[in-house]
Amino acid sequence: MTVGLFHYLAVSGLLFIAGVLGVLLRRNVLVVFMSLELMLTASISALVAFSRFNATPDNPMMGGNVFVLFIIAIAACEVAVGLAIIVALWRRRQTVDLAELKGMKQ
Amino acid sequence: MDAQLQILSEFSSSHHWMWLWPEIVLAALALALLAVELLLPKSDRWLLRISLGAQVAVFAALIAGLVGGTLPTSDVALFAGAIQPTLSGHLMRIFFVGCSILVCFLGYLYLERRPLARAEYYHLVMIVTAAMMLLAQITHFVAFFVALETVTIGFYILVAYGRNSSYSLEAGLKYMIMGGFSSGLLLFGIVLLYGAAGSPTLIGPAGDPFQFGQLGAVIAENPGNPLIVIGALLVIVGICFKIGSFPFQYWIPDVYQGAPTPTTAFLAVSSKSMGFYLLYVLLTGPFLGLQSILVPVIGIMTYCTIAFGNIAALGQNNVKRVIGMSGVAHAGILLVGILAAMRGVDWAFQAIFFYLITYALASFAVFGVMCHVAPDEDANQEREHYFGLMQNHPFLGGVLAVGLGSLAGIPPLAGFVAKAAIIVAAFQAKLYLLVAFVLVGVVVSIFYYFGWLRAAVTNPHPEIQGEPHPVVAPSVGSRALLAVLALASVVLGLYQGGLLS
Repeated sequence: MTVGLFHYLAVSGLLFIAGVLGVLLRRNVLVVFMSLELMLTASISALVAFSRFNATPDNPMMGGNVFVLFIIAIAACEVAVGLAIIVALWRRRQTVDLAELKGMKQ
Repeated sequence: MDAQLQILSEFSSSHHWMWLWPEIVLAALALALLAVELLLPKSDRWLLRISLGAQVAVFAALIAGLVGGTLPTSDVALFAGAIQPTLSGHLMRIFFVGCSILVCFLGYLYLERRPLARAEYYHLVMIVTAAMMLLAQITHFVAFFVALETVTIGFYILVAYGRNSSYSLEAGLKYMIMGGFSSGLLLFGIVLLYGAAGSPTLIGPAGDPFQFGQLGAVIAENPGNPLIVIGALLVIVGICFKIGSFPFQYWIPDVYQGAPTPTTAFLAVSSKSMGFYLLYVLLTGPFLGLQSILVPVIGIMTYCTIAFGNIAALGQNNVKRVIGMSGVAHAGILLVGILAAMRGVDWAFQAIFFYLITYALASFAVFGVMCHVAPDEDANQEREHYFGLMQNHPFLGGVLAVGLGSLAGIPPLAGFVAKAAIIVAAFQAKLYLLVAFVLVGVVVSIFYYFGWLRAAVTNPHPEIQGEPHPVVAPSVGSRALLAVLALASVVLGLYQGGLLS
């Protein structure tokens, strides 16, 4: 069996769904944060697969591969800011559980 | 090798950095502010003056360029098709700089009373504004995503800026999860569009599927392709998180309440306007071929957004939550304008833009008053704090009345004309049921806006009320600014100039 575009897309789709469900269902902020990164990873793998399989001799489709580098840089920024907020919140509230962060409900 | 060199030289020949000078100036000055703070400690006023002065200069120069016709509005694509200057894009750039000036001023009012870092606030506001201004002209999904994330990540910090308040940090965390989630959906949508539109199995695959024009051509040829439909829907969902339309509005009340008041204003006005402009550009540009699917989807969303926003705002007592929920209702009315644009009403953008201007003027007037009334814990701004405001501080009370009246759409204020323009556009697009729905929503909105205003007018018995809530007396600068905002809301209601033609 040769591995084709469909297989890559299936893996990336599963990763994406796992990420979405993780964000929606998990309560620990760090796990939610990991799930967010999982969604970005799913996009990255799909991008590379599309670039590889849609390429023709006339058009090498490098745009998708270049976009991956931008996504990685953005994900790093997001992590840097996000972890800083989580650490600051932990110092104030001693919890990173979303179910307990309901200070503003009326 | 020669062929590659030629591609490179064609690419670089369209790199006109000079045409992006407003963004470059803002970003450079944002960096300079950090240096100024380092070199001149205890220079609060200078930080404000530099950031305001620079932005007013850019604002004035952009308006002069637009009026004088020196801004490029031709069909020239810059940066190999990544940037396309358009007239509507220039109008939005001017709008974003204007909002940024007001946010910086409100930020000064907020920071003045709190032991927080100063320069970084102006720095972030200016960087985010520069990214928004870029977004208003971008026609390429790679640049689009990078600029959008610059805005989003900047907002994470701005929302969590009140580091000494657990409410602000909690709001920052919630905004971050929401923002990351929406970016993830949006990115996956972009990737699916890229993959589908670049696929050689389709009719006329695009050479660069990230480019809006080429993507639009492919979509017009293959409107039924499932990957394209899912991708476009995911992109729209990602943007709908930013504008807070139902069912993507659940983050709004908590984030609006916890964020520092100037950041709430920034979110409510600039971020939302940016989302609407992007929606407008995408829906009337590359996604035009998907009309048969997208018009009903957005139509249903519009009904739900108007209904939900108005009903939810009725039950709130915290004024920031009222603003948040009423902002959802405003998003619904703006979506009506987007629908009209999708159905071919050619002046729908003018209606949307005029609505955004009046919404910004009225909102900033209200937020300006909120900055003065807010207690030390910025998140706890209850309606009770406004008791007796009209009597004790008639100026602030008057500005609040004009702002809320314009938001509610009371004639002859600007908000009334804006709502009327959207309704006429919807009428021309034959959205009769939606027009009726908007009118009901406007009537309901009068209840909660006037509930707030009633608190400001009533003066409960001192025995019940106790001491009146302490209100910071407005300085000369903020008096002048608030007066200008309120006056503009009145004047634009009577005379619209060329804005609606």
